[in-house]
Amino acid sequence: MSLATLTRLALAGNRTDAARVALTALSALLATLAGLAALTVLAIEKPPGDAWQQSEQYVNALLREPGLRGGTAFALVMLTIPVLALAGQSARLGAPSRDRRLAALRLAGATPGQVTRVAMLETGLASLAGTVLGLACYLGGREVLHRPDDNGQLALPTDVLPPVPAMAAVVLGLPVLAAAATAVLLRAVATTPLGVVRRAGRTGSPQPWPALLIGLGVLAAAVVEPIQWALRGAALEWLALVAMVGIFGAVMGVIFGAGWIAHLAGRTLHRLARRPAALLAARRLTDDPWASSRTFAALLAALIIAGGAAAFRASFQLRAELEQEQNRLAGFGDDAFHDSFYLNTMDLVDLAVAAAVAIAAAGLLVTLVEGIVSRRRTYAALVATGVPRATIGTSIAWQVLAPVVPAVLIALGVGYAIGRLLTGDLSPGARRPDVPLEQLAVQGAGAIVAVLVVVGLGVLFLRSTTAVEELRAT
Amino acid sequence: MTQLQARGLVKSYGPTPALRGITLDIDEGEIVAVTGPSGCGKSTLLHCLAGILRPDAGEVSWRGHRLDTWSEAARSRLRRTDFGVLFQFGQLVPELTAAENVALPLLLAGTGRRAARTAALTWLERLSVAECADVRPGEMSGGQQQRCATARALVTEPRVLFADEPTGALDTLAGEQVLTQLVRLAREHRTSVVLVTHEPRIAAYADREVVLRDGVIDHTGLGLDAPLAGGSR
Repeated sequence: MSLATLTRLALAGNRTDAARVALTALSALLATLAGLAALTVLAIEKPPGDAWQQSEQYVNALLREPGLRGGTAFALVMLTIPVLALAGQSARLGAPSRDRRLAALRLAGATPGQVTRVAMLETGLASLAGTVLGLACYLGGREVLHRPDDNGQLALPTDVLPPVPAMAAVVLGLPVLAAAATAVLLRAVATTPLGVVRRAGRTGSPQPWPALLIGLGVLAAAVVEPIQWALRGAALEWLALVAMVGIFGAVMGVIFGAGWIAHLAGRTLHRLARRPAALLAARRLTDDPWASSRTFAALLAALIIAGGAAAFRASFQLRAELEQEQNRLAGFGDDAFHDSFYLNTMDLVDLAVAAAVAIAAAGLLVTLVEGIVSRRRTYAALVATGVPRATIGTSIAWQVLAPVVPAVLIALGVGYAIGRLLTGDLSPGARRPDVPLEQLAVQGAGAIVAVLVVVGLGVLFLRSTTAVEELRAT
Repeated sequence: MTQLQARGLVKSYGPTPALRGITLDIDEGEIVAVTGPSGCGKSTLLHCLAGILRPDAGEVSWRGHRLDTWSEAARSRLRRTDFGVLFQFGQLVPELTAAENVALPLLLAGTGRRAARTAALTWLERLSVAECADVRPGEMSGGQQQRCATARALVTEPRVLFADEPTGALDTLAGEQVLTQLVRLAREHRTSVVLVTHEPRIAAYADREVVLRDGVIDHTGLGLDAPLAGGSR
């Protein structure tokens, strides 16, 4: 099959396919911006002089201090996690109609390999459009934002450009990665002329083994400080690696644990359900509990970081209070020098977490709408037989909220526990930071409100998807 | 006694007319087959009679009350209580068991779960699919699914059952079985049935056949008198 034919077939499709392509391109655009931003931070040259020499051309200490740039770049790369989760959730948009299209290609004589290439090309081209647009936004934004202040300092590193090969790697590498991910995902299904058949799905009820991952993650965080003290700061790179692996394990544990929570919530709801809405939600939760893992992955990852950030903020807050107390005792008064750098940094982290929650909510909306659209015939039949749309809307709300509330609490708890263990105590027997219940409550409530808003928006699609015309479509 | 009346029904989808002035009466306990070629307006007529669609012009009356002027909520309530609706396929909730699917209309009406399940089991038994009570639709045959859907449509003991190509997705034998049971139960409960079909063999189960062509009634005739026919003519 020629490239032109492949491209033509890859770009064929209905409005849902167009929406998937647009969302994939948007995800690629956001990921490109985050990647190029991280590369730009790393491209800032270390000023000549001793290790304490700072890049004075920048306003923000995160850019000024060479020692902090690695962490800043890492945080920017971390921002791509919810973006990539959004891309993954977008890939499910319009999956039934795409599956039918691919099956039709097979029926017309396309080989399984050709069908895979069509799907890969669709994702690859959409991602390439996004990365190229992202590069254009980056270069344009660089020009627009390059405005030194009165002291000649810059808010962003708009005076440096990452190496061209590195930029090319982001712009071209992301589409290749996306296409490769599509090929891997298609390995789970067989595209036959009669339809797309899933080769093997996860069967059986979820088990609580993710709790083990969470436990190991928390344990890894707990051992960092004692080992650090024991080794007196010698050769600690491997310890940092252990902590990172542990944290990653805990994040995965919470995400996979959402499946178990959904199953448990479904069973409990089924036992207690008195109304049809709750019964419908309960059955859907027990039928596909892993949907919750897929749906809330990005949100839960963002909340673990939020919980950890709350622990760090509480620790920095205590440190600042103790400093002020010492200054007062030393007779310097309240106006003495006060280093608010770390607290300001936490403001940035909170901003990043809010952005991640917003992106995760967008992904949740995509998944929710896709779920409604793919079940439109059943919903339309229910409405035609007299089931109120409100009942279906309530069942969707139950289905989302029943697992998300406990999952959010666990994510915040795990994040806070890891953060608290990593910050340790300032000195043996010293005051310990209070649990920032207020901040954790705001984060949890904010996430649940975001989910509620998403459910509200998703339910708006019910009216169009339950129209009687859906019963006439084949 | 006339249960349902349609007077001068007109309905269009954009510029395409589907119904062009249909007038029809459905009596209590009567089984009416609506037949005709594809695109003649059969399903649209059924949807208007059942209150699923509002006609652009004309009236639909249910026991003397103008149904087409009711709010959507009121029409939904009517479909839950006095009407039953049966489609070709895709009507069962895939995650619910057969018993839960059948119990759904009762739960919506406020019946307790235990009582609703008991009633559902009774209807599954009547439709000869009691063994499927705790099975999900995906694990049932097409015929079993359709009998389960029939049980759901009848569980509230509706006054009128609207069936849109109820055997269209089944093989001949399974289709015959479903229809035989549907007609038997309708006659037992004096339920009126509006049966949309394009198969003369299926229409033969009805007391009366209404043939549509291009959105109007082409002619009306008696059903071919299937073995189970025998209601009011």
